[in-house]
Amino acid sequence: MKLQSLKVEQLRQFRQPFALEHLQPGLNLIHGPNESGKSTLVRAIRAAFFERYRSQAVDDLRPWGDSAAAPTVELAFEHQGAQWRLVKSFLKRTRCDLSVGNETWSEDEAEEKLAELLGYQYPKRGASKAEHWGIPGLLWVEQGTGQDIEQAVEHAGDHLKSALNALVGEVASTGGDAVIDDVRSKREVLLTATGQPKGDYKKLDKEREDLQQQVDDLQLRVEQYQGQVDRLGQLSQAFDRTEQEKPWDDARRQLDQAREQLQQVEQLEQQQEQEKNTLAQLVQNRELLEQNLGHLSRLDEQRRARKAELESAERKLQQTGQQTAALAGALNDARAAYENARSQLQLARQQEIRQRLEQDLRQSEQRQQALSQNLARAREYQQQVDEAREQAKANRIDTAAVARLKTTARELNDETIRSGTVATRLSWQLQPGASITLDDRQLEGQGEQQLLEASQLVIPGVGTLGIAPGGEELASTRRKLETLEQSLDEQLQAMAVASVEQAESRASAWEVAEQKRKHAVELLRSVAPAGLEPLETELAELQAELKAVREKLEATPVSDQEVQVLDLASAESALASAEKRLNDAEASDRSHQAQLLTGKQARDNAKAEWLRLEDEANSPERQQQLTRLTAELARIEQQQVSLRESMAKREQQIREARPDILRQDIDRFQRTIQTLQQTQEDRQRELRDIRVRLEAWGAEGLEEQLSEKQAELEQCQRRYQELDRRARALDLLLTLLTDKRQALTRRLQAPLQKHLNHYLSLLFPNATLEVDEHLRPGTFNRGNELGQIAELSFGAREQMGLISRLAYADLLKEAQRPTLILLDDTLVHSDQNRLEDMKRILFDAASRHQILLFTCHPEKWQDLGVPPIDLQKLKS
Amino acid sequence: MPRFLHTADWQMGRTYSRFETEDGAALVEARFEAIEKLARLANEHQCQAVLVAGDVFDAQTVSDRTIRRVFNATRAFPGPWVMLPGNHDAALAESVWTRAQRLGAVPDNVHLALEPGVIELAAEGLAILNAPLTQRHTYGDLTEAFGRYETPAGLVRVGLAHGSVQGLLAGEIDSTNPIAPDRAQASKLDYLALGDWHGTKEINERTWYSGTPEPERFRNNEAGNALIVDISGPGELPQVQVVATGRYQWHQWRETLSVDSDLDQLLERLQNLPESSVVDLRLDGLITLAGEEKLQHGLSVAEARFRSIRCERSNLQLAPTDDDIAALKADGYVGDVIETLREQQAGEQGEVARDALAILASMLKTPAQEAGQ
Repeated sequence: MKLQSLKVEQLRQFRQPFALEHLQPGLNLIHGPNESGKSTLVRAIRAAFFERYRSQAVDDLRPWGDSAAAPTVELAFEHQGAQWRLVKSFLKRTRCDLSVGNETWSEDEAEEKLAELLGYQYPKRGASKAEHWGIPGLLWVEQGTGQDIEQAVEHAGDHLKSALNALVGEVASTGGDAVIDDVRSKREVLLTATGQPKGDYKKLDKEREDLQQQVDDLQLRVEQYQGQVDRLGQLSQAFDRTEQEKPWDDARRQLDQAREQLQQVEQLEQQQEQEKNTLAQLVQNRELLEQNLGHLSRLDEQRRARKAELESAERKLQQTGQQTAALAGALNDARAAYENARSQLQLARQQEIRQRLEQDLRQSEQRQQALSQNLARAREYQQQVDEAREQAKANRIDTAAVARLKTTARELNDETIRSGTVATRLSWQLQPGASITLDDRQLEGQGEQQLLEASQLVIPGVGTLGIAPGGEELASTRRKLETLEQSLDEQLQAMAVASVEQAESRASAWEVAEQKRKHAVELLRSVAPAGLEPLETELAELQAELKAVREKLEATPVSDQEVQVLDLASAESALASAEKRLNDAEASDRSHQAQLLTGKQARDNAKAEWLRLEDEANSPERQQQLTRLTAELARIEQQQVSLRESMAKREQQIREARPDILRQDIDRFQRTIQTLQQTQEDRQRELRDIRVRLEAWGAEGLEEQLSEKQAELEQCQRRYQELDRRARALDLLLTLLTDKRQALTRRLQAPLQKHLNHYLSLLFPNATLEVDEHLRPGTFNRGNELGQIAELSFGAREQMGLISRLAYADLLKEAQRPTLILLDDTLVHSDQNRLEDMKRILFDAASRHQILLFTCHPEKWQDLGVPPIDLQKLKS
Repeated sequence: MPRFLHTADWQMGRTYSRFETEDGAALVEARFEAIEKLARLANEHQCQAVLVAGDVFDAQTVSDRTIRRVFNATRAFPGPWVMLPGNHDAALAESVWTRAQRLGAVPDNVHLALEPGVIELAAEGLAILNAPLTQRHTYGDLTEAFGRYETPAGLVRVGLAHGSVQGLLAGEIDSTNPIAPDRAQASKLDYLALGDWHGTKEINERTWYSGTPEPERFRNNEAGNALIVDISGPGELPQVQVVATGRYQWHQWRETLSVDSDLDQLLERLQNLPESSVVDLRLDGLITLAGEEKLQHGLSVAEARFRSIRCERSNLQLAPTDDDIAALKADGYVGDVIETLREQQAGEQGEVARDALAILASMLKTPAQEAGQ
């Protein structure tokens, strides 16, 4: 669709006819300042299409204050090779004429034709509103609404889809969405969103379960009932049979028989008991008799025993008497031995004393000898001490002084030697007989002399030679020599010795004497530590003691050398053993006397006893009694034998009859009877119970109830199945419908997405904008930015809105639908960079669509490459 | 010349779970009416006695009310009734019969044959030889004892038994409670009145199953009769007359639909059934949406007419024709869904797919119709 010209008359500010001609197939930039009529022209185009020519709701078209005006719009456009011309007048003159090529339509027909061409609706009454605008609502952007794309898409929805259907060769269902809603609401009656039963469907399921439970319960009770009926049948059969057979009668007969048998056995047992008693009496009698008899025969035995006892006593006495003499001898011997031992002991003691005295004397003598020796030695040592002391006294000299003297002498010596070295040596060798005088001394032969001081040598005949030793040292040496000689003289004098050697010999003599003295003192101390006096005293005392011992020894008698004298210990032990022997002998004698006495007494007793028994045994009564007892005993023995025989026989009888088993039999039969009768009674009771129970249960009509309940269950089941089938069918239907619809939507989205991507890549490289199921731009994705269009900035939203509209236009173009794009002062919020991008986009779109761009900022759009149309200029 | 009415298998106390409550109640009621009808028939045909060959009651523990109502329903015929316990109401130690006696519900003219033996109805010229079931199931032939029962020379010997005649009904009835097929001849019976088989059936000229007087299942289509038996004297052959007593007819049809005329025929046959019918339809094959609508309509009409009609259609696939789909104006993906469902009908979830398709069709039709109006 290409708009070629637009004429308006009596329309708002255009009271006079105004024409916009020579519109280009592509981009047309129409500019003018505010209130120059841009918006009026846009409004005129909208009114020409959207408003019904006879609508009274278009007052806004009227020029201000002109109530007689008939606003008129005249449009010329080309579409698919045909020339269209539309003239529409409102208000005072209502008219609509459409000519396409040679054909013409007018009034409503003309309007319907237009609506079909562009894809919009008319309002039923009043002014046209956004919801009627359809596709033009999407492509014709009013000032400030460029970003509101969603509403516009919704209003264009059906037209878009039908355009798309043509494009992709699919048919969207006319009432499809309504059917889906219907199915969904029907499904919701039965199922929850997650597919769980609800409402009646759920209730029936529960009811079904309850009924099933009731049926099961009834079934169980019916089975119980039938079980009880069966039990009743069995029981009553058993009861009747038992009543007829009476099994307890048989048992009773057996019981009676057993009782009779037992009675017989019991009689036998009684007899046995009696005879047992009789036998016991017999045994007792016999024991008595035997006792008596025993008593009698025991008398003879006693008599014999007594006789034997008497004889034995006699023998014993005799034996004892025989020992008397031997014992007396032994006693005398023992006494003699004892006396002897005693005298031996006395002798031993005397000898012991004497020996000790002699020993004392020997010891004292030895000590006296030793003491005398010591004393003698001590006196000798004392004398040595005294002598040494004398010697020391004679040689007394100070050893330190001697040492000093020796030192002085050595120094003097040393000094003399040194003086020799420094002194002037005068040696001479004179002819024999010649002499000379040196300082008054006559020199002859040969010799040598050291000269320390000026000397005078007189050579006879010659004169006198003065010799003066040179140097100071000579003088000091001479002085030192003099001092030392002086000191030596003084020291010798002080010590009263002539020479150093003398002094030394004295010192050594003193030392020897002193040594000697010390040695003698040591020796003296060894023999008489306390000195001589105590030794002398001790000796005197010992001598006195010796004297006393000797006197004592003389007083002691000397033992007889002939007699063997025992030592004291042996003598004492001999006495002790002799004493013991004597004691033993005396004890034996005493016991012997006692035995003799006892033996006599025993013999006398035995004799008396024996005599008494002799008398008794020989009496006649006793003989008679003995005969009688013997006869009686023989009789009782016979009785016992016969009794025992009869008892053994009876015992056999009793054993064979088995009374224990008989008693058990009786017990068993009694129990049997009791059990049988009890069982029968129990049956009777149970029968009664079951009958009562069955009567009660029967009255309930259980099976009829069950059958009714089953019918109810089955009906419930049927109803449930119906709903179940319906629910499943609705579910399937809904799933299928939504699936198919989604699949279709996806197919429809594809071409739109393609066009959208085309523009988007120019605006935001690498960004994506997804189309949702309602064909609206939805999720926007740019790098890591993900969101809805609505979340973008106003400017971006406006840009997105515009490229979306262009994409729709491309889509419609492909579907061979008219695509006129009107933009009224759009993109005012875009920055310079974006605006540049949008210009490229618009220029691109204009190669496919006619675009009318109205603006009051022509400078912004001057680089669009089209000559701008200045409204001001056209108006003037 | 004795004449008696032979009936059996009343199954009183049975309920009908497969029907809606109301229908079930009506069918139960019809069974009580059947007893009353038997009593009237006995009077009308001047019968000397009524013999009931077992299963008077459907269960041992039916309600007291049912027991009383059964005996009350016999009241119209004052002659002797002989009732034999069958397998459903066997003469156990405690049974529906002992309960009836305890309740005092049994009228004097009703003889309960609770023990094997002979009930002599001398005045009526009949000796009834009874083989009651005293256990729920027996595996021996209880009628074997008939041969040992002596009866007075002048009386007609009539056997009364409940069970399955060996070799004739095999496969249809449990082999419990067997009865020898030549029992009448072997035991010198003039007539053997049998129960257990719910359809009227002649075994031989002296042996008959009367069938139940009021049908209660879709099998045994010879149900709903009673027999009027004439025997001129001992040893004579019985004259048996079948008299219809049933109120409702039970029909079970299994039909396969493939072309439109099949459905038309089915609807016509339904049209021709009497109102006192109980119908069970089981359909398979294919049906168009238009056909489905027609069937729905036909069933709706039938529901109002008949005592009960049920139609099982899970195996009947919906096969919408192009015209159907055009009529539904189902374009776009909804059309796709219809196609998918049509295909799925043959698969595992066939039943669900069929239901879904029906629902979708009905949804689409409703607004279309609205728009049409």
